[in-house]
Amino acid sequence: MKYLKYVDVVQSMFPDQPPYQWTVNDSVPWTPIVKPLAESAVAMISSSGMYRKDQAPFKPDKNDLSFREIPADTDVRDLAISHDYYDHRDAEQDVNCVFPIERLRELAAEGFIGGLTPFHLTFMGRVFRKTQFLGEMIPAMTARIEAMKADLVLLVPA
Amino acid sequence: MGLIARTLEEKGIPTVSLSSAYDLTTLVKPPRTFFINYPLGHTSGKPFDRANQTAILKDALGGAREINTPGAIVALPYAWDDPFWLAGA
Repeated sequence: MKYLKYVDVVQSMFPDQPPYQWTVNDSVPWTPIVKPLAESAVAMISSSGMYRKDQAPFKPDKNDLSFREIPADTDVRDLAISHDYYDHRDAEQDVNCVFPIERLRELAAEGFIGGLTPFHLTFMGRVFRKTQFLGEMIPAMTARIEAMKADLVLLVPA
Repeated sequence: MGLIARTLEEKGIPTVSLSSAYDLTTLVKPPRTFFINYPLGHTSGKPFDRANQTAILKDALGGAREINTPGAIVALPYAWDDPFWLAGA
């Protein structure tokens, strides 16, 4: 399988910088999936930089440690993208490329999944402040997911 | 993104991740990942291709429970018509 090595891509973007220290994990945390999908409330987290037009846009370059809560019933015409580091021309025309909210609503309607949590979370990738990301932002996002009683979380990087 | 998935699993909430960056996924090791070899900006499918977008979601959400190996990366069989971004890969 031929695939692009993004470690090399990122390094080539910053030729004068020392190599970024990517997180390397050996072990993997694991929670078994026991609840049937057709009874499960699904939450989505997307790093696409998607926001609702009545919300503040993300800082589009890097290190925006905030996230947005997008209501599950949001009209996709009310969404916009703030992110300087991926080609989102297609996603601007069809948000489902990186934030498949319309497809998830259809899967809920047909009973493939039990339903959707009331909100889905979005942020702007490219967070290089690992201490704050791990110590503040991830706990805040996780707390929202827990509060909404999600049974399964779909993560969609952009 | 994988770090978020890992934290959720530590707290007892199962996750399933999509990824178009195979090498980064092998480093971070989210619990369950479906790899889609598309250019960035299309992780959950091609624009205005409802069948493609639905297939990816059904494969990932429906297949998540079948994964029994923590850290598994399952490649989905969908191809991009013109793999321009792989020219230098």
